[in-house]
Amino acid sequence: MLFSFKNKGGKHVIKVLLVDSDRGRGAVIAQALLDSDMGCDIFRPDLEANLIKTVESYHPDVIIIEVDAPSRDTLEHLAIINELNPKPVVMFAENDDSNLIRKAIQSGVSAYVVDGVAQNRIKSILEVAIARFREYQALKDELAQTKHQLADRKLIEKAKGFLMKQAGIDEDTAFKQLRKLAMDKGKPLAEIAANVVSVAELLS
Amino acid sequence: MSDNLTKKTISVQDAATEMSRRSFIKGGALLTGAALMGLVAPSIRNAAWAAGSDAPEKTDVKIGFIPLTDCASVVMASVKGFDKKYGINIIPSKEASWAGVRDKLTNGELDASHVLYGLIYGLQMGIGGPQKDMAVLMNLNHNGQAITLSNALKDKGVMDGTSLRKLISSDKREYTFAQTFPTGTHAMWLYYWLAAHDINPFSDVKNIVVPPPQMVANMRVGNMDGFCVGEPWNARAIMDKIGFTVTTTQDIWQEHPEKVLGTTKAFVEQYPNTARAMVAAILDASKFIDASVNRREVAETVASKAYINCPVDVIDGRMAGKYDNGAGKTWDDPHAMKFFDEGKVNYPYLSDGMWFMTQHKRWGLVKDDPDYLSIAKSVNRIDVYKDAAAMAKVATPTETMRTSKLMDGKVWDGSNPAAYAASFAVKA
Repeated sequence: MLFSFKNKGGKHVIKVLLVDSDRGRGAVIAQALLDSDMGCDIFRPDLEANLIKTVESYHPDVIIIEVDAPSRDTLEHLAIINELNPKPVVMFAENDDSNLIRKAIQSGVSAYVVDGVAQNRIKSILEVAIARFREYQALKDELAQTKHQLADRKLIEKAKGFLMKQAGIDEDTAFKQLRKLAMDKGKPLAEIAANVVSVAELLS
Repeated sequence: MSDNLTKKTISVQDAATEMSRRSFIKGGALLTGAALMGLVAPSIRNAAWAAGSDAPEKTDVKIGFIPLTDCASVVMASVKGFDKKYGINIIPSKEASWAGVRDKLTNGELDASHVLYGLIYGLQMGIGGPQKDMAVLMNLNHNGQAITLSNALKDKGVMDGTSLRKLISSDKREYTFAQTFPTGTHAMWLYYWLAAHDINPFSDVKNIVVPPPQMVANMRVGNMDGFCVGEPWNARAIMDKIGFTVTTTQDIWQEHPEKVLGTTKAFVEQYPNTARAMVAAILDASKFIDASVNRREVAETVASKAYINCPVDVIDGRMAGKYDNGAGKTWDDPHAMKFFDEGKVNYPYLSDGMWFMTQHKRWGLVKDDPDYLSIAKSVNRIDVYKDAAAMAKVATPTETMRTSKLMDGKVWDGSNPAAYAASFAVKA
């Protein structure tokens, strides 16, 4: 399955090869680059695809890849040995914009550029990719946190129910007991609740 | 109740301050010995170091590593607490690619790294991008890499370099060989070995880069005929019955340099005491690893998921010098991977650094002869190493060059690098 996004508007279309292990995130970055009106043609290879063959057949001007993708060493080899000669731009931007470099690496994206593409266009492409990457990450983190909170609340409810049944107390008292236990032990309420629930499971 | 809590917290803090003050005075009065320092909690110990001029300027150091057997000294320095002894806290950071290591070293995300010798010199000379001033603080290991050929080649009668040469000239097709980084050590060992058998690594075969953990999988699906990589991946290829070891790298160059502790020159200048402390801690770890009684513990530690993530037996055998080439030959190798060898492994010989530059020149990665000696002098920080070795009570040699005879009989002693680089018949 291949994804190719064409931008028919721009005259000087930059061919961008986007390699991302996260399908959803890759799609978000690709869309953002297209929407930016920079004139990008974006190609996203399959994760299992042979990167060398992809580069040889697509001839990208810029390759954007995750900082921590293992296949980056393969690109490095193409950059140094092959005639296709993509250059690692993030670390070695000709104007050595270390701020952008730092931002790119912290965000987790890295880029390689083939000779002959204007520095400022590369910069814009990277800026967009970085911004989208971060937004996506923030959304994901928020979702994870919300899920976590929900799970915590379920645990606490369960622990309360167990205490109410065992000690014959009301809900409010059960909650206060849990909270006191958490404070005395200096542990999060959810952790105490989890302990109570596992005791309950043992007894049942 | 909340009042109670606050009081408790305060009294605990008071006690800690009092403790730290007393231990601090005691530490200062009694001695300096690192052994004593080992008894004290890390935070207090740092305070004690801070009292002297030798105090590491930066105590938390993030050191990158790639999952390979030779990352062991960096890992063990942290796991066994050798770092604490010198007032630093090493945080090993598992990295996915050498390109990632390079990026993170140059932008400061990593303070230092377990890294390919040649990669540091490639950066120093600006191969593949602008130049960056780098530093080699110490060599981490000798030996312990290998070249694996596929069992498909073995079935066609290939047993060594000579029979490989024969097959390549008689049975024409595209032969593919993989290594791990264009300027790195494995590329140089692979090229050297192929060329010694009159096979040009660029024109006679195709050569590609594949990340170490993916080597075995790639050979299994027939993507390549051979590869050069660090252990445990050659042993793994045998275990998985897809290839055999055609040569170890110690048979290409006995006691060859391999991974180094690399960082930037700027880091050493900004944090000289931290740099020295890292080297001292890793020297202690290297000593620990080479003591055979500790070997199993080391293998078990580095095999775990947090580090190499590989069955311990695949690592342990070759680490202990027990070799099986996967084609019917077994032997005890006295030149298996070494981490210490009384400090002979770790000294950053200028001739070692220069050798990689001669090979970069040989294979056309640099166009002109670099200023071999002055580059090696600026990159290999013998000054830092010597101070660290004194702290760790490790002997240092007086010579900055060493003499080696490689597999093809050529002698390298660092004396005439340009002539040496030009002396090879097979080249780019």
